[in-house]
Amino acid sequence: MEKKTNYLYIILAIIALLFVVGIISLSFGSINLSPLKVLKIIFFGEDVKQSLNVIIKQIRLPRIILSFLVGAGLSIAGVVFQGVIRNPMVDPYIVGISAGAGTGVTLAIVLNLQISFLFFNTIPLMAFFGSLITVYIVYNLAKTKDKVPVVTFLLAGVAVGFVLNAVMSFFMVIGTRDLSKIVYWLLGSLSTASWQDIRLMLPYFVVGNFIIIFFLKDLNLILLGERDAQHLGVDVEKSKRYLIIGASLVTASVVSVSGSIGFIGLIVPHIARMLVGPDHKKLFPTAAILGGIFLIVSDDLARILLAPMEIPVGIITALTGGPYFIYLLRKQKKEIW
Amino acid sequence: MLKLENINFSYAKQKILHEINFHLKEHEFIGIIGPNGSGKSTLLKNISKLLDPDEGYIYLDKNLLNDYSYQELAKKMAVVPQDTNVSFNFTVYDLVMMGRNPYQDRWGRVSKEDKKKVEEALQLTDTAKFKDKSIKNLSGGERQRVIIARAIVQEPELLLLDEPTASLDINYQRNIFDLISDLNEELEMAVLAVSHDLNLISQYCERLILLHKGKIYSMGEVEEVITKANISEVYNTDVDIKYNPITERPYVIIIPRQKGSQQMRAHDFKVHLICGGGTGNDIMNILNDLNIGVSTGVLNRGDSDWESAKRFNFEVVEIPPFAPIDERAVQENKEKMQKADLIIISDTPFGWGNLDNIKVLADFNDKDILFMMNNDLQKRDFTEGKFTELYEEIKENNNVNEIDSNKKLCNFINSKYEEILYD
Repeated sequence: MEKKTNYLYIILAIIALLFVVGIISLSFGSINLSPLKVLKIIFFGEDVKQSLNVIIKQIRLPRIILSFLVGAGLSIAGVVFQGVIRNPMVDPYIVGISAGAGTGVTLAIVLNLQISFLFFNTIPLMAFFGSLITVYIVYNLAKTKDKVPVVTFLLAGVAVGFVLNAVMSFFMVIGTRDLSKIVYWLLGSLSTASWQDIRLMLPYFVVGNFIIIFFLKDLNLILLGERDAQHLGVDVEKSKRYLIIGASLVTASVVSVSGSIGFIGLIVPHIARMLVGPDHKKLFPTAAILGGIFLIVSDDLARILLAPMEIPVGIITALTGGPYFIYLLRKQKKEIW
Repeated sequence: MLKLENINFSYAKQKILHEINFHLKEHEFIGIIGPNGSGKSTLLKNISKLLDPDEGYIYLDKNLLNDYSYQELAKKMAVVPQDTNVSFNFTVYDLVMMGRNPYQDRWGRVSKEDKKKVEEALQLTDTAKFKDKSIKNLSGGERQRVIIARAIVQEPELLLLDEPTASLDINYQRNIFDLISDLNEELEMAVLAVSHDLNLISQYCERLILLHKGKIYSMGEVEEVITKANISEVYNTDVDIKYNPITERPYVIIIPRQKGSQQMRAHDFKVHLICGGGTGNDIMNILNDLNIGVSTGVLNRGDSDWESAKRFNFEVVEIPPFAPIDERAVQENKEKMQKADLIIISDTPFGWGNLDNIKVLADFNDKDILFMMNNDLQKRDFTEGKFTELYEEIKENNNVNEIDSNKKLCNFINSKYEEILYD
C-alpha cells in the first residue's frame, strides 16, 4: 500500500517537473521572456506581438514537444529492449537499431522516396523497416540455442551498427544532393523541429506505444526468465515479437525526425528503475516522462551553451551517456536491476 | 490427469527419451528418479510444453497438451523450476502475485480474489513474514518456498517440480517436501517431482519412475523400484537397501569402494605385521590407506586385530581362539615374513604365548624390521628378559628401526617404498 502512494507521488512530482522544465525552456532563447508571459501567450494568446507569438508557438513549442516525444520514445524503447533481452546494458542506439532506422531514412532521402499518404509518411516508414530488419539480424546473430547472451548481443549490435553506418556514409557520398541534411541528422539534432515533424512521427509513435502497452504486463514476467514466463501463461515468443515491433516503431518514429540521439534509452530506464522498481507498469510512464525531461534539458543546453551557435543535441547526450555506460560496465559485477 | 503415450524426444539427433508411457492419476504423487543424463529434466520439459516430443502424445485431462494455450495451461499446471535465482528487485508479494497472471486480463488488474489467493499462499508457505522483502535478499530455501507460493496461486491441478531441493540444506529439503506433501494431500494437487535424491523422494511419493538412458527402467510402488538390483544396475554402483524405521520406506545406502580388495594392492611392496590385542589396528589402517600388500600373524581368531585384518582383507596366519601358537603356524608365519619387504612389530606386549611370533626373526639376516616403541622394552617384556634378549639379537643381524608414532610410520614406509621402487 505504501508503495502505491509512493509511486503516485513520484509520478506527480515528475509531471510537475516536466511542466516547470517545459515552461522555462520555452522562455529563453534568442529573445528571453518571463515564464509568466510564456504561459499567457500559450494559454490566452492575448495582447502580444505577432512575432513573439510565432517564436513561441511555431518555433519553441513544437521543438519542446518534439524533444519530449523523442526523449520519451527513446526511453520507452530502452525499457522494452532491456526487458526483452533481460539486460540493462541495451538501448536502441547501442544495439544498432537507431543505425538501422537511420539507414532507412538515408535511403528514403537519397532515393527521394518521400511520399505522404494520409497521416503516414514514407520517411518514418523506411526508418521502421530499417530498424526492424536490423533488430531481426542482431537478435538472430546473437542467439545461441535458446538464449541471447548479452555479450554477443552487444557485439552483434555494434558490428551491425558499423556496417549500417558505412552504408549510410556510402549513400551520403553518392547522393550528394542532400548531404548536409543527412550529416546534421546523423549527429542528432532537434534544431529544425516543426509541427510538421510532429505530425510526421506521431502516428508511428502512437501505434508503437499502443502495442507496447498492450504487452507491457508480459514484460514483467519475461523478466523472470522466458521459461518461467511461459509457465505463468505468457506466450513468450509472441509477446517478444510484438514488443520488439512496438519498440522498433517507436524508435523509428523518433529517429526519423531527430536523427540518432544516443544513450537516453540507456540512462533513463535506469534512473526510472531506481525510483519505482522493476515493475514495468510503473516503469513505463516514469521512464517516458523522465526521458522527455532529460531531452528537453539536453536540448536547452544544446541551444544555450554556444549560443547563437547550436550544438547537435546528440553530442550532449553522448557526452553524459558515454561515461555512464562505462560506469555501468565497471559495475556489472554487482547487480543492476 | 496426465497421460503420456509413446513419447520420443531427440536433441540434435541424439535420442533422449524412448517410448515413455505412464499415467498420473488425479491427486497422485509420482517421483521421477534416475542418474544424470537419464532424461529426467527433458521429460519434465516435454510435459511442461517447453519442448515438443518428436513422437507420441501427452494428454492433460483428456485434451492434448498442444491444444492448450499457454494461459489455459498455466491454470492447470504449475512448474517449480530447479534454478530459482531471480536477479532483480521484485518483492516477494509481487513475485507471488505474478502467479495470478493467467487469471488476469491484458492490463494485469489485481482483483480481490487475486489478493486473497496470494495472502493464503503466503500463509501456507510461511513466507508472509517477508512479503515486502526483495526476492534477492532471501536464502535459497526461502526463495524456493516463494516460488512454490507462486505456483500455488496458479491453482493448478498438477504441480511439476524439477529438483526442488537441489543445493538446499537438509532442514530445507524436509521443509520443502513436507510442503509439497501437504499440497498433494490437502489441496489435492497431483504432483510430479524430479529428484536426484532417491532417499528424499522415496519417503514422500506414492509411486516412482526410474529412468535409465531415456527409458522407463522401472515404475511402481517405491518398494518395487528402490531395490538393490535396480539401483545398483542403473547407477552402476554398490548400494544396499535399508528401511527408514519411521516411514517404513526403503532407503538406499552407499557402500564405499572397498580399498582392501586384493586386485587394488600394490604388489611390489609387502609388509608383514606382528601384532595382537588391537595394537595393530592403527597400523593396518595406515597400510591399507597406503594401498600396501599386508600379511599378518600369528593371530588368534576373534582377536580384535584379527577382525581388523579380516575387514581389510589382509592375509592372516590364524589359530583357533585362545590356542597357543603351534609349529605349523610358526612356519607359515615365517614364510610370510620372508616374502615381506618390511616386517613391522606393533607395540604389543610379549609373553610366553606370543613369543614365537618374533623368535623366527632371530633367524633372519639383513631384514628391514620396524619396532613400534611407545613404551620401554622392559614394560613390554613378560618373559623374564627373554624378549629383550631376542630383541638385541635381532638388532644385531638385521636392519632394525624404532618408531614411536603413527605419523612417523607413514613417512618411514613412504621412504622405504621409494627405496625399493628406485633400486
